[in-house]
Amino acid sequence: MKKLYILVAMLLVSISALAQDGRSLYNKYSDYDNVEAVYISPAMFRLIGKIPDIQMEGENVNLAPIIKSLSGLYILTISNQDLAADLAADVNRFIQKGDYELLMEAKDNGEVTRMYTVGDERTVNSFVLLSRDGEETNFICIDGTIPRDQLEDLIAKAAAE
Amino acid sequence: MKTLEEISRLSAEDLERISVDESIPVPEELSGRVQAAVGRRETASLQPARSSARKYGASVFAVAAAISLFALGAVFLNRERTPKDTFDDPYLAYAEVEKAFAKITGTVSYGASKISESETTLDKLNYWK
Repeated sequence: MKKLYILVAMLLVSISALAQDGRSLYNKYSDYDNVEAVYISPAMFRLIGKIPDIQMEGENVNLAPIIKSLSGLYILTISNQDLAADLAADVNRFIQKGDYELLMEAKDNGEVTRMYTVGDERTVNSFVLLSRDGEETNFICIDGTIPRDQLEDLIAKAAAE
Repeated sequence: MKTLEEISRLSAEDLERISVDESIPVPEELSGRVQAAVGRRETASLQPARSSARKYGASVFAVAAAISLFALGAVFLNRERTPKDTFDDPYLAYAEVEKAFAKITGTVSYGASKISESETTLDKLNYWK
């Protein structure tokens, strides 16, 4: 019986220790009701990058320099508060385990937004945004091999407009 | 001395009479030998029970291990499966990427404006010093 308890404990530890990333969170939450989910694959990013006449420059954001360096975009929008709390807990867990660095935290009228990146001085391998207010929780995860200076330039320029 | 065959033919009354007859000499260490024989018999009788209990425990453990591995595998495969693209149209996909970046830059913009406000306040405070 002791062995059984040890096995169950090991199982629980193994499940919680499974590598979590944007994809695993997307897979976990995207099938629930009241969850809006968007996934854009590396193939789609390559396709976007190859289309010559695509309007790369929007009102605020010019994505042309980095679009080909993206390898996955995961977006979850959750209105169910219990599910949102679970997602937030999972995101915090994978942020802590994945050596993510807090880029910015903003609090505005009850909305808390945190942005994290992981990578090195030159490259961002993953960017995560978690935004929560009383009604909705947004999770955005962008994976890729994004040159850090290009990403920072893009965000800085767009923010300055 | 009687043989085992002769003893087995004796009735219960005869055995009782012989057991209380103190004139019959009792061999030394008989008691110890009898206890040892009884102990060996009990050990032998317990052996299969223990073995079956061990087998039962092992099979429960094996079933639990199999279920656990299956559950772990299912969770792992579900997490690692490649999701399906939400959009087939690259234009729609691009619009969504742009929306995501707009959300990001909006937050940064808000942060930058707050920093700017606090700098202005600091400048004012420094002016009145």
